[in-house]
Amino acid sequence: MGRKKSREIVLKGIPVSPGIALGKAVFIKQDIMKPERLIVSPDDIDNEIDRLEKAVEITREDISKTRSRASKNMGEIVSRIFDAHMMILEDDVFFNEVKNKIRNERFAADFALFHEMSKTYNSLLSKQQEYFRERAEDIRDVGIRLLSNIYGKSNGTIIHGDEPVIIIARMLTPSEVVQMNRSLILGVMTDIGGMTSHIAILTRALEAPAVVGLKKVSMYHDRVNMAVVNGNSGKVVLNPSEKSVEEYIDKRRRYIEFYDRLENIKDLPCETIDGHRISLEANIELPHEVEAVKSHGAEGIGLFRTEYLYLLRNEFPDEDEQYREYRKIVEAMKDKPVTIRTFDLGGDKTTEGLEIGREANPFMGLRAIRIALAEPELLKKQMRAILRASAHGKVKMMFPLVTGISEYRKIKRIISQVKRELKQNNINFDEDIEIGVMIEVPSAVIMAPELAREVDFFSIGTNDLIQFTLAVDRGNAMVAHMFKNLHPAILRMIKMTVEAGHKRGIEVSMCGEMAGDPLATLILLGLGIDRLSVSPIVLPEIKKIVRSTIFADAKEFADRVIKMKTHDEIRKASMELMKRKFADLPIWFTNQGNH
Amino acid sequence: MIEKELLIINQHGLHARPAAKLVKLASQFKSDVYFIYQGSKINAKSIMGIMMLAVEKGAKIAVQINGEDEEKLMRAIENLLNSGFEELV
Repeated sequence: MGRKKSREIVLKGIPVSPGIALGKAVFIKQDIMKPERLIVSPDDIDNEIDRLEKAVEITREDISKTRSRASKNMGEIVSRIFDAHMMILEDDVFFNEVKNKIRNERFAADFALFHEMSKTYNSLLSKQQEYFRERAEDIRDVGIRLLSNIYGKSNGTIIHGDEPVIIIARMLTPSEVVQMNRSLILGVMTDIGGMTSHIAILTRALEAPAVVGLKKVSMYHDRVNMAVVNGNSGKVVLNPSEKSVEEYIDKRRRYIEFYDRLENIKDLPCETIDGHRISLEANIELPHEVEAVKSHGAEGIGLFRTEYLYLLRNEFPDEDEQYREYRKIVEAMKDKPVTIRTFDLGGDKTTEGLEIGREANPFMGLRAIRIALAEPELLKKQMRAILRASAHGKVKMMFPLVTGISEYRKIKRIISQVKRELKQNNINFDEDIEIGVMIEVPSAVIMAPELAREVDFFSIGTNDLIQFTLAVDRGNAMVAHMFKNLHPAILRMIKMTVEAGHKRGIEVSMCGEMAGDPLATLILLGLGIDRLSVSPIVLPEIKKIVRSTIFADAKEFADRVIKMKTHDEIRKASMELMKRKFADLPIWFTNQGNH
Repeated sequence: MIEKELLIINQHGLHARPAAKLVKLASQFKSDVYFIYQGSKINAKSIMGIMMLAVEKGAKIAVQINGEDEEKLMRAIENLLNSGFEELV
């Protein structure tokens, strides 16, 4: 390593998890048989085609080498297996189709290839006869070679040794991030991803600085020894010069100092100068995050994303296992509330093992509560586990992607049945457990006045609400810039939801990404939100904003901006106010407001 | 353009090696050639295409050829299919 001096390379991406890290860089190869659906911008088409062609070339050499080795060691008959592989590589008709997919559909090279190969692979695999099924394995073999060459050769798929490192990858899936040893991750940089991708949520949970959307960083991986990730500014520096290293060490020191000062308000309530108090809670994915939740002074867990219990292994944990995990968290939080959300799978979160076919539009497909209602046994198991955990502390149960009353009534009926069964078996649970729904679909906002008569609380999920209200796929690089949380339509939806809830005397909280956006805090406060649930890491910053504000001013500000007509106006007004009031917040040396 | 329905008689249907032979044969001709089977139409100069059809023994496929040497290509394909790809057991 580091035999020759490499040139310093600076790239700019989207900062998704704050902080500054400096260290040795390693490249992580993907779960290559499952590239995600990636749409590239028109400018990247040629680059993707080039990537594909180079990968085919390298694969040809790989297979030819393998063939001669096989021929020498195992005989000519065995080596013929590789002739078939070679023929696949020489299939111009096929590769032209892949290129068409890149050109016309703007698929990324890996996804285009996977998409086309899957047609043949799946068709062969669907056959009864063994010999067709075996041929599917040939396709897979070539597919793996091609995909790994698209991603670039690597040292391996996992972090070797016990030295903490900075991870470079084309993209990381939630399961991959989840399976890494968190103490070995200094920072993360990826080609693909945006502000609201899962990698953002997960790196924040790990408190690892991360920059995504770097487009080509994975292509440099074999020329990188050291790297700097600046999760505040979105800059990454590969092979930093001595001067850059010093500069970043200094920046990191100032950043850490800011957070140290926030320590002082950790145990103080989240209330305005004039005594209007809201509850500030934390979102978690994994049980071990409870420590971070407590150390950042959260008043509870506003969102426990249970699906990660599934994503860890692609298999549903049974009732007892779920119960143990939930109970652990509930007990660790003592009497502070823990809101457990039922499995939110589907959409962009894999559902291997579930019988969901290919969906043209997965975000609007079989996901979240829809899966649960289609598989009531799964739902009952989870409800039982949550109810049993409610005997050990303050638990609330919450359901994702509810679109209206009838879904909620179905849920309620199942809960009553589960409660009855538990009672018959003399199993303890909290009979008055609060049941709430996520408000994350426009229809739920419109029906909020009616829903509020039947549920115990609302929790606004902003990622889906923005995606569906503005009709923007946040994973599509060409429209991702239209994903705007301060869009007047979004603010009005939040206002409607809060008003509908308060009219019926129920609490309205927000647990989406927007809850942790400092540019939105005063507006949300002014609109009357009761509870914010955020990544533990941004919690002190949000609390500082609330504690430095007079509630009447926040209300006035919210009233003013909600009358504005565009996102840009609202953002500008918020920026100006925040800059004036909070000159020392990290938001000013982060680019958080860029989305 | 000519079209003909042909029977697949070789033991394992159109799997990898027969597919490779078909592609090699078809590629020597100028005409475009398509196989149609169970609602899918594929370019017979593509091994991935032929393998995708996964045509079993005893199945009938429609062969559609269009081009200056279409007659010759059709005969060649018929001969190859009737020979059972020299793998009759």
